Amino acid sequence: MASKDISAAVQKSGRIIHNPDLCRGCRICEVACSAYHDGICSSHLSRIHVVPDDLALEFPAHSCKQCQYPSCYYACPKPDKSMSIDSKTGARYINEEECIKCGSCYRACPFTPSLVWVTEVDDKKRYYKCDLCRVREDGPICVEVCPRGALTYEQRGKSK
Amino acid sequence: MKQMFGWTGKILRVDIGSGEITTEETSKYVPEYIGGKGIATRIAWNELKPGIGPYDPENMLMFMTGPFTGTLVPTSGRGSVCGISPRIYPTPWFTYGTMGGDWAAELKYAGFDAVIVKGNSPELVYLWINDGKVELLDAKEITGFDTFVTQHRLKEKHGNRAQVVCIGPAGENRVLWSTIQHRLSNSIGDAGLGAVMGAKNLKAIVIRGSGGVNIAKPEEFIKVCREKAEMIKGGATNYPHPTDLPYHAPIGPGNQQCSHGCPLGCGVLYKNIPAGLTVGSGTRNMMSHCEDYAFIEGEATTKYPPDDIKDIYNGDMYTRGTKAFGKSMGTELQALCEGLGLTSAFPINYYPWFWVCIDNGITEIKGVKLEPDDPNFWCDFMKKVSYREDEFGDIFAEDLMRAADELDLPPVVRKAANFQFPMWGQPAHRQGRAYESQPDPLWINTMLHWIIDSRDPMACHHQSSFIAGWFPPHDEGHGGTPDSNMERLKEAYKKAFGTAEGLEPGFDNIDGKTKLAVWQDNRAQIKDSLLICDWVFPAILRTFTSREKYIEAEDYYGDIDAEAKMLAPLTGLDIDTDFIDKAGERIRNLDRALHIRNYDRSRKIDSSGEWYYEYPEKSDGTKLDMKIFDAVLDSYYRFRGWDKETGHPTRATLENLDLKDVADELEKLGKLI
Repeated sequence: MASKDISAAVQKSGRIIHNPDLCRGCRICEVACSAYHDGICSSHLSRIHVVPDDLALEFPAHSCKQCQYPSCYYACPKPDKSMSIDSKTGARYINEEECIKCGSCYRACPFTPSLVWVTEVDDKKRYYKCDLCRVREDGPICVEVCPRGALTYEQRGKSK
Repeated sequence: MKQMFGWTGKILRVDIGSGEITTEETSKYVPEYIGGKGIATRIAWNELKPGIGPYDPENMLMFMTGPFTGTLVPTSGRGSVCGISPRIYPTPWFTYGTMGGDWAAELKYAGFDAVIVKGNSPELVYLWINDGKVELLDAKEITGFDTFVTQHRLKEKHGNRAQVVCIGPAGENRVLWSTIQHRLSNSIGDAGLGAVMGAKNLKAIVIRGSGGVNIAKPEEFIKVCREKAEMIKGGATNYPHPTDLPYHAPIGPGNQQCSHGCPLGCGVLYKNIPAGLTVGSGTRNMMSHCEDYAFIEGEATTKYPPDDIKDIYNGDMYTRGTKAFGKSMGTELQALCEGLGLTSAFPINYYPWFWVCIDNGITEIKGVKLEPDDPNFWCDFMKKVSYREDEFGDIFAEDLMRAADELDLPPVVRKAANFQFPMWGQPAHRQGRAYESQPDPLWINTMLHWIIDSRDPMACHHQSSFIAGWFPPHDEGHGGTPDSNMERLKEAYKKAFGTAEGLEPGFDNIDGKTKLAVWQDNRAQIKDSLLICDWVFPAILRTFTSREKYIEAEDYYGDIDAEAKMLAPLTGLDIDTDFIDKAGERIRNLDRALHIRNYDRSRKIDSSGEWYYEYPEKSDGTKLDMKIFDAVLDSYYRFRGWDKETGHPTRATLENLDLKDVADELEKLGKLI
């Protein structure tokens, strides 16, 4: 078996950090994310899921932590073709054209709920996850639209 | 079905009497009626024929969303509920309410632009909408539960991400001022539609959706939504509003937006309220707005008449501000109110009225001692009303106007009830003059909205309050003199309308004022149809995140074309501001026609609220020459294209708004002129 160069994968990626103490569950991040990526406003198709408990006044959110040694990447049968690592941001992202919809990344995600999301389109599964808006000039759109500064973007290599 | 942008394309129809569930296409009603109140009014015209009462199975409870709902449009998460309301006095008629929260967005994600509920169920049921799947389920296990416990139990069953709208015990018992409740304190309150939900035996609607709202031109849409979010960023009332009330606070950890997709924070949060009253409200958290402060801060309304105008006051009417019970007890009373499913604005009108009773020697009613300064009295009052307990609870469950008709009261006390509920059985607030003043000449607009609408005109009222912030004495802290502040406001008006007409005090230019009132009212229909925030739209003014930024700014104009600029790329339709204005006018005229056909609405009925304006103005004691009332109404009807004598729209007016079929039907009934 040929060795593969996984040096990019082990490098620390940029990441989005959510602060539940500042969040008030407006979910603008969700509609902006899905509008930008898919031309649709949807909380399910967003790559960040805010799950506010409006009665308890608690505002947790779930989105990819862009792990070091990312399990999803190691689990992908087509690494660097399907599950890829962006050289600029470090984002672990799914190249949907190459994705064979096997769900390995979805199952391998160490978090509950899985931070790789799945939906069904015309009876076919589609997997998607946060890609840090890697081709967007102004960086992650969720961070930009958050009215409360509850989301911050820690760029690759800039963490303390 | 053709794929739609902005709208999901489907309206859900549920007959809970027969259990029949069907769908119809939204394209029957859009873009002409836009959504929300607009579509609901068209459906009401088509299907709610004269003679249907609020509790009849033929009455429909319409849970509406708009094209903006669930999208990136700032403040867009609102939903509307429409139907024939038993609370409207003296004649129950078709009206509307709007509320925030997440349910409306979730409904669209579940694939529906609206849920229209018809029929009355023999047993208490709830509706479970899970994407395309719709079921009516038995609500036996949640019968009688307060609105928080109901939400908890239904979320336990259907998942924490499900959104619940429900009624509490008050709605189940058809209390006329009961709410349709969601989250902590989002509700359809003053409309009185909780009682209709109770009559239908519909405890709740539970919604979960994994779809979305398609955008025709995503890139353009995102760009314009971002711009408009920036424009309103200062919030509904932050700046330039000068008051230091908590709900005018800048956005921060202590406050929350009222609806999905809103970047503002006008609701103040209370966590872990001490259970001092041990009223068993089912929550120890609360979100408070505006009149929710009646019992927290007190003085939610002011004393009338104030001492300095006592001499000219004609002696038969007075009221006073509410008592402050403090943060914990006041909030607890609010929590109890929201839990029972009663409208939480009630203290501002009931508190002063009970005092009028006491001052006139009525110290108890139906065996219950009146003690408005004791929080326990209010606790008992709300519980008795919600469960229609004893004669006392049963009488006040019919709301104050009908209660006052039932009770044998001295004339001054009877009239005081009317002073608190001056038109349509709706609670007094911001009528414009007397004890609820607005600056001159804004009060003329406010008055017109009250007499033309089917309930208290919230959408217009908030817009007026917003602009009122620029007038003395509210303009302290604006950094200028009253004159220079007014100049800045006029500049913004010139940018919006090409003229600042209508802002001059007094009656010199009645037409300028009524024209503005017509425009505001048309845009109110749009706000309740798209649906967006009452306060910040239409954005004649922009807002700022700090007083410094506001004072330094050179341009105060917002953008009254914002609605069209966001709706066009969302839907992919050729929509401009003329389309928006015309749609608003269409919805108002159709609503007018509906009220003419079903309830004989006329100039005479419009004028039935005139008496209220005979009372001297609080701020300066001036009394109105009542002849002016006729001149104002004449002018308003002229701009509306309504007949001067009857107040009915003319055929030309209706046809110009593509409402020929409506004109034909009115003509057939002899009600066209």
